[in-house]
Amino acid sequence: MHISLKKEIKQSHIGKAGLIILLLVIVIAVLAPLLTRYNPNQQSAASLLSPSYTHWLGTNQVGQDIWSQLLYGARTSLLVGFGVGILSLMLSILFGVSSALIGGLYDNIIMRIVDAFIVIPMIVVVILVAAYIRPDLFVLILLLAALSWQGGARVMRAQALSLKETGHVSASRTFGASLLYIAWRHIVPDLGPILLVEFIFGVRRAVFVEAGLAFLGIGDPMLVSWGMMMRDAMKFSYLNVWQWWLVPAGVALSLTIVGLTFVSHAAESVLDPRLRGEAVA
Amino acid sequence: MTGKHSLATYGIAFFIILTLNFFLPRMMPGNPLMAIYGDEALVAMTPALKTHLIARFALDQPLWQQFGAYIAGLFRGDLGWSYFYNAPVLKVILGSLPWTLLVVGSSLILSTMLGIILGIESGWRRGSKTDRAMLAGLMSLNGFPDFFLGLVLLIVFGVLLKLAPLSGALTPYSGLSGLALVLDVLKHMALPVAALTIAHLAGGYLLTRNTMITMLKAPFILTARAKGLSQNVIKYRHAGRNSMLPVLTMTGIWLGRVVTGALFVELVFAYPGVGQLTYQVLLARDYPVIQGVFLMVAISVLAVNFAVDLLYPKLDPRVSHAH
Repeated sequence: MHISLKKEIKQSHIGKAGLIILLLVIVIAVLAPLLTRYNPNQQSAASLLSPSYTHWLGTNQVGQDIWSQLLYGARTSLLVGFGVGILSLMLSILFGVSSALIGGLYDNIIMRIVDAFIVIPMIVVVILVAAYIRPDLFVLILLLAALSWQGGARVMRAQALSLKETGHVSASRTFGASLLYIAWRHIVPDLGPILLVEFIFGVRRAVFVEAGLAFLGIGDPMLVSWGMMMRDAMKFSYLNVWQWWLVPAGVALSLTIVGLTFVSHAAESVLDPRLRGEAVA
Repeated sequence: MTGKHSLATYGIAFFIILTLNFFLPRMMPGNPLMAIYGDEALVAMTPALKTHLIARFALDQPLWQQFGAYIAGLFRGDLGWSYFYNAPVLKVILGSLPWTLLVVGSSLILSTMLGIILGIESGWRRGSKTDRAMLAGLMSLNGFPDFFLGLVLLIVFGVLLKLAPLSGALTPYSGLSGLALVLDVLKHMALPVAALTIAHLAGGYLLTRNTMITMLKAPFILTARAKGLSQNVIKYRHAGRNSMLPVLTMTGIWLGRVVTGALFVELVFAYPGVGQLTYQVLLARDYPVIQGVFLMVAISVLAVNFAVDLLYPKLDPRVSHAH
């Protein structure tokens, strides 16, 4: 299965478009302090101003600069997204690969738990838990990661099960390699594209849920977030403010998710060769 | 993933839901009554109500007896007491449930059907301009959070074009009946349903398209062509019909997404369903209702998943022989 993931994404128009969008969002998040003079959390002018030279997108109901909020919102989204993506990927590898290698009762128990979590709607659980503990950024990442590794673990397990039967793994078993060594040296590196696809799925879900929670008003109120901006803007939708307040936040959020979807779609075609190549019908 | 889960899976899922619901408030600092009702509500409560609630939830008993009382209550349909609405939680939720069912049901059916048809057409024309445009377009739509789609529809059709009502499920105090009432309900649900349908179209579409592409390479399609069947018969009766099966297995999981989507979309349109209720009780910190909503939503999604798992072997006999 040695198809280059990089080449695959670069060759697909959709994949390229996705990468460009993502890079743009990342650049905005990193350079946020350079692109604006205002602190997104501090009042910088009168409230509900229309766009002007000093405030490109006007100000919100408490006089915070909307342009700054938009820029800093990218930070929140990406931090939560990548944080959850990495953590839940690690959990997926840990439980998926160990289930495949150890097998038996352990495998059975882990997989029953995984199945159970897959059928429970995640956002509802997050809303319930968040209603009680009002998570800050760090706790939110932990919470989302704890609820989103299960699907990935199932995929990793399936892949690890087939890798386990390959020649080089048996060879290394006969040389007395430990399970840990095999997992780390032979199985995980060969998971390749699956890791990327699962990682992006995790990031996407987290970006989505973070915005949703903030939109419902159970996010961290100190955190500038696109979801929170939309929630605030919605209250004033009878004014014309949606043009520079609601729509930019919504478009930024949607673009980020679209970028992630595009990249994962291109990466997925590496996993399923039937989807590759052009024109049949 | 084929959606073949055992009864044990559902048992465990059910147990996880119950445990979360039971232990979460009791793990919070302070006494459980405070955790269940929040400190503001507790201050306003009369001592009589307090003792009543403590007895009702067995809060002065050891934890395992509380759990017993909780489970026994659930089987009697007792989900607790809403302090905010001053009514049983079950009654509060049942009041808003029909509206959510209406919106979720319609958009689930619409998005699945549209998704399958678009998927068949797109997979059939794979690689063509139409296919690529549909693929890119629908995947982009997939990225739009349902509540943002709802807000855009609300602004375009409600605020700018004034074609649709801005909020609610009925025109208040209109005293409509018969056909006029039905039309009024339809008019109010059009935008929320459209938002949910568009946001959830891509799942069915992508899955059908992928299956369609593999299906078209199967030998029986070649046979069908050799028999000289018309394009439409091959497309829909042979390839299309088989491409629908994976979509069905996913219905249960999509239901979960559409329901949670509805929670957000209802908020945008002030639609009086479970989502709007959730938002209000989150603001009021009416924890028993939050818990009740969680329980109802989680269990109904489980139930539908289970039903799909039971139905699936009947629709695709290969599954029951696959062991």
